[in-house]
Amino acid sequence: MSSTATQPGSQLSDALARDRLGVAAIVFFMMSAAAPLTVVAGVVPTGLAVTGLTGIAIAFLAVALVLAIFSVGYVAMARHIANAGAFYAYIAQGLGKPVGVGASWVALLSYNMFQVASYGGFGAIAQPLFVDWFGVDVPWYVLALVAWALVAILGVRDVAVNGKVLATLLVAEIALTLVFAFAEIGSDGFTASTAALDPGTLIGAGSGALLVMAVTGFVGFEQSVVFSEESRDPRRTVPRATYIAIALIAVVYAFASWAMISAAGENVVQRAGEEGPELFFNLAAVQLGDAALHMGHILFLTSLIAAMISFHNIIARYMFSLGREGVLPRTFGRTVPGTGAPKNGSLAQSAVGLAVIVVYAIAGWDPLVQLFFWGGTGGGLGVLILVTLTSFAVIGYFARHPQGEDVLHRVIAPVVGAVLLLVMTYLAFDNIAGLLGVEPGSTPAIVVPASFIVLLVLGSLWALYLKSSRPQVYSGIGLGARSATTTGGFSAALNNDAAGTGYNDESGYRR
Amino acid sequence: MASPPQLPPADDLYLTAHDTIRGGSLLSPATLGLGLGAALLGELMLWRRVDLVETELVVIDERPTGDAATTAVLEQLRREAGQHGVRNWLAYLSTGIATDLVERRLARVGLIKRQEKRGLFSTKVSFVPADSMTAGWPATRIRTKVSRDENLDVADLLLAGLILATGLDQHVLATLNARDRARLFEQFRRLFPAMLQQLVAQAEAAVGDAVMARRA
Repeated sequence: MSSTATQPGSQLSDALARDRLGVAAIVFFMMSAAAPLTVVAGVVPTGLAVTGLTGIAIAFLAVALVLAIFSVGYVAMARHIANAGAFYAYIAQGLGKPVGVGASWVALLSYNMFQVASYGGFGAIAQPLFVDWFGVDVPWYVLALVAWALVAILGVRDVAVNGKVLATLLVAEIALTLVFAFAEIGSDGFTASTAALDPGTLIGAGSGALLVMAVTGFVGFEQSVVFSEESRDPRRTVPRATYIAIALIAVVYAFASWAMISAAGENVVQRAGEEGPELFFNLAAVQLGDAALHMGHILFLTSLIAAMISFHNIIARYMFSLGREGVLPRTFGRTVPGTGAPKNGSLAQSAVGLAVIVVYAIAGWDPLVQLFFWGGTGGGLGVLILVTLTSFAVIGYFARHPQGEDVLHRVIAPVVGAVLLLVMTYLAFDNIAGLLGVEPGSTPAIVVPASFIVLLVLGSLWALYLKSSRPQVYSGIGLGARSATTTGGFSAALNNDAAGTGYNDESGYRR
Repeated sequence: MASPPQLPPADDLYLTAHDTIRGGSLLSPATLGLGLGAALLGELMLWRRVDLVETELVVIDERPTGDAATTAVLEQLRREAGQHGVRNWLAYLSTGIATDLVERRLARVGLIKRQEKRGLFSTKVSFVPADSMTAGWPATRIRTKVSRDENLDVADLLLAGLILATGLDQHVLATLNARDRARLFEQFRRLFPAMLQQLVAQAEAAVGDAVMARRA
């Protein structure tokens, strides 16, 4: 990618530099999607209860190491390609366009799973709190629908949470997580757990489940490269922000989950099953009292809401990018002119969210385990698949375009990362029943992994169909909204794409 | 009734973007800036002062154009020649510079007027079209010509291209039927110089870029 080197005395460079982002801004953005409290108090105890595995702290550290190695090649490739914000762009340019389109479908499913998981989590976690605070017992799905409506309205108007508000919440969240963790260390039942940090659990039975849960905690780290062109110095700002965010997330998660597991003692799995997301708070409340407990609960909910809004915006923009390329119907490539909001992608995501909440409410399925945990870890599995494919795409890309990067960035780190990720993905598929807490061979254990494979294959077939029927569209795959060859309104006109794609029918606004 | 005169494309684009009851903008400031920046660069190409070669802007004639707005841009292009690609120039002009230049040019001929809104602590200054009829004229001209199957001149093709690139077409070209739309697209391919095609395509990509990076 071309970037403007800062040249002294250049008005243009100076003016553009003023708007560029530094390391801290990018770290905050990445971590807001990661939602620390949601992972530590939500995913970890639920995971303990569902899988019965206690090695989560070491899993966070191991996954951080693998993702950091992967990121060396990932951020290097981001400097060379357009549309660097999306895994499918890497995969399309490194492994071929068909796999890229398949990956884009996998990504949409994964991110949507996170989104609906957060609705389930919000409903399930807020319900007992509402009883506690206001004495009203509201069904979880009513609370989930309120959160859904908030996200849908903000999303369609493209209101992002103010950066300063987000940063304040995030800092408060991390501080509170650490304070609670320290309080747990000081509690009576505390005995430093070796099980939580035992590297042996990473090769034993259930290791795949632990690794996927850990990956779930890091989702959002891949967004750093969106800002390649916006950063002060693409060669340094983005890599630094990526490594700092991964390290920060790993330390906070590993420390807090180790403290929680240690404080709960021998029967941690049983307590996690009984107390659920309250476990993290209960253990610390003994030391800190009620005020801290309420504070923790409030931040827990705001953390979930921030994550929801953040993911919703990511999904809407993903669909916008795909709509612009013509991989999804072009109507997704339109924005509201006055605000630049990718409205149709946002509406589609909201429709999915509503449908899932309604189905779960009618079927009476459990919002915490079957929506929050399954959705979150299912999404985590999807992201693991995408990261693994991307790691191979990086190798493939640099094999053909070795210019401008040294051997470490284009060969050594990508190969090591790819091998480790491939092993992780194998373990994850092997352990899927344990991860979901179901019998091997039962419906969820087949449907969740199979849906990713099916989408990958169908997406690839769709790309091959595009290749023969709409070569113009096919040639632009993976280049995203940033490319001048993209088929937006004007470019579509130049490419005479109107007849070939049923332009008039697919774009709702024409009528 | 005599038709109002055709203005430079950037002025026409500005008016089209402000074709609302209160004279407010239909586009976000960033998108408007990208559209107007591309329009000013396009005007310089029409003046035969600048060429777009691949993604670089090359000054081929340094003489002032006789118009303050384009001359200001030309002067800057000349001073920093060859250092930045067209996308960086568009990004730079979109930071408010293009909008400011075009507003001054329109205010000078009395087509827009300053409006002060006094708030509690500060006074907000904005520009609104002096006559709501003028704001709608450029888009009407394009619609009329296209539906009569008349050829647009290059300046109007630039305007129409930027209307599509900025997404303004959802407001002002929504009433074109499929046949007229196909005719307009056909004119883009047949009558619009390749260099300007590239410029508008770059502007459109920049608009998409701004959406992805949450700047739009």
